[in-house]
Amino acid sequence: MNLRESLRIGWRSIVGHKLRSTLTTLGVIIGIASVITFMILGGAFTADVVGDLDDENEPMMSVVTQTEPDAGTGVMHVQSPIYTESDVDRIESIDGVEWVAPTGSLSPVQLTHGDDSITGGFSAQATNPAPFEEDGLYPLEEGETFSTEDEAIVNLQAARLFDEELSADDEITVTFEDGSTENFAVAGVADVDLGGSSSNPTVYVPLDAHYTVTVETPRDTRERGYPSLLVKTESIEGLDSVQDDVEAYLESDSDAHELKADDHEIVAQTLDDLVEQISGIVDQLTIFIGGIAAISLLVGSIGIANIMIVSVTERTREIGIMKAIGARKRDIVQLFLVESVILGAIGAFFGVAFGIGLGYLLVSWIGWPMAYPLDWIVIAVGVGVGVGVVSGLYPAWRAAKTDPIEALRRE
Amino acid sequence: MSVHEPGTPGETATVVAATDVRRTYHLGEPVHALDGVSLSLEEGSFTAVMGPSGSGKSTLMNLFGCLDTPDEGTVEIDGRSVTALSGSDRARLRGTEIGFVFQTFNLMPRLTAAENVTMPMVFHDVVDEDRRARARTLLERVGLGDRLDHAPSELSGGQRQRVAIARALANEPTLLLADEPTGNLDTETGAEIMDLFRELHDDGRTILMVTHERAIAEHADRIVHLVDGTLDEIEEVRGSKAASGRDRSGSEGSE
Ligand SMILES: Nc1ncnc2c1ncn2[C@@H]1O[C@H](COP(=O)(O)OP(=O)(O)OP(=O)(O)O)[C@@H](O)[C@H]1O
Ligand SMILES: [Mg+2]
Repeated sequence: MNLRESLRIGWRSIVGHKLRSTLTTLGVIIGIASVITFMILGGAFTADVVGDLDDENEPMMSVVTQTEPDAGTGVMHVQSPIYTESDVDRIESIDGVEWVAPTGSLSPVQLTHGDDSITGGFSAQATNPAPFEEDGLYPLEEGETFSTEDEAIVNLQAARLFDEELSADDEITVTFEDGSTENFAVAGVADVDLGGSSSNPTVYVPLDAHYTVTVETPRDTRERGYPSLLVKTESIEGLDSVQDDVEAYLESDSDAHELKADDHEIVAQTLDDLVEQISGIVDQLTIFIGGIAAISLLVGSIGIANIMIVSVTERTREIGIMKAIGARKRDIVQLFLVESVILGAIGAFFGVAFGIGLGYLLVSWIGWPMAYPLDWIVIAVGVGVGVGVVSGLYPAWRAAKTDPIEALRRE
Repeated sequence: MSVHEPGTPGETATVVAATDVRRTYHLGEPVHALDGVSLSLEEGSFTAVMGPSGSGKSTLMNLFGCLDTPDEGTVEIDGRSVTALSGSDRARLRGTEIGFVFQTFNLMPRLTAAENVTMPMVFHDVVDEDRRARARTLLERVGLGDRLDHAPSELSGGQRQRVAIARALANEPTLLLADEPTGNLDTETGAEIMDLFRELHDDGRTILMVTHERAIAEHADRIVHLVDGTLDEIEEVRGSKAASGRDRSGSEGSE
């Protein structure tokens, strides 16, 4: 019997039992839809966080302190001001380092521009003008880096907090936790794309005038201490070796090494490292979700197998008739296998469709960029058809070995 | 119509032959459903099989129809031993050389009359258009040209049996097997079906038919009597071949 005939006959039998077929494929639909949805979410999340970072590495690294969280996986950044003035000087003198920009977090509560006030939802960081210099790390959409202590840079997200977007020369006022206020002229608007923190609206202000945290160094002097450093290297080629040098220094005779808590770890992280770290977390999640999806696919496959066995039992007499009029074993196997493969394929098709639909809804609701996990769609369709084959094998085999005489005797 | 004389000896070939076949079922104590039966069917012959219930009629039918193989003895179709064939080849043979007609019609319930007739051709890989044309011809042949697209449930018993006969003829089989084809039909409808069998016989087909009713059996050239799995007697039916043979009604009932 040719394939087209068995497709036609299989399809007829599926359409002949619409409700049953629908319920049967539901398991596969749910399984595949959940895989696709989660893969879209994972892809969209990665795309959002990593953005265009993964296109090219930058000749820079950030020095941060991290620790393992009590629960869950991954790492947590801690903000302890352990990097002293001396550390900054020492790192700056390492071969291949262009500049070091310490970064300190301030605690702002309100951002005012004209009559408009934004309360909370933004951060303020004190840093050097270097990152915003021409050909620096963060390209300026407009304006230039700050040069006096009452100038500030805002990132795009901060600029967009106001109905009328902030632009260069606008006046803003930042109110801090302790009630003090500072007026700034916006020197420039920067497109800061730096992984996780990038999406927060941030105001960057000059370090020297606005950062006051000092710590007691191991040498019994008081110096400013910073929670993180941004290190720019002279070339992308030298990045790795400079990274090694910076880490070597920080791990040996730096103040930071003395000041850090025991369970804290100092890392110099390049963009590549960051991307790798995020992808690593997403991958772990993917495996976990893949496991859940595999279980639901298994359940779906059992569903198809079950209904196929019922269908074989129900159609014993028909199988007997077909055998009596010339159907070979392989014809019967083909018939039932094709039917279960159609069920699996239908499951895969609707699973992918629902998965993409749901994924799209969720992603646009969260505000991430849509990602189409093409490889997973292909895998899902393959798995759906595979589920059809696997779950159809036993019922088809049972159908094929039906004794036609017995089958025809049945009423 | 019936110009040729199907039973003329010496001229006709044997299409199927069973030689000393035995079939034993083992359920507790062994049941010898067939206990050494030899029967050959000449081309164009019409043979009826009679015998009490459980005498092995259906078992014999299944052997001739390649649905079953004998424990001992041989069944040959067109000179080929069925026992030696693989399951797949036997299935092929069922599709091409044998046409089955059952007491309970055994149509595929979800398929239309035409589709039912098409089925043997589907397994035999006949091209789609040819199949449909042939199904139409066959259904017209059995008088159902206007019922092509009816489901079995929309047909009367007699009509269903006609569809089954049309299906049995689909691949131009060598042998037509019928196990109590009128068993589920009233006398009148049964007679109509027998008219059809007679016409097929007159067309030169080889027919083997099981029946309980003497009146039905007498449509055949000869009646084979089975008792307890053995061949008791072969009775030639004189004068039955003529279409007028049906005038010999009112003879003794079956058992
Ligand atoms: N599958 C089987 N298992 C065990 N015994 C069987 C089987 N099939 C048939 N038999 C036995 O073989 C014998 C012959 O059965 P068969 O069906 O050939 O009888 P039959 O002449 O067709 O009877 P009926 O006129 O009632 O249809 C019976 O005794 C029956 O019980
Ligand atoms: Mg019987």
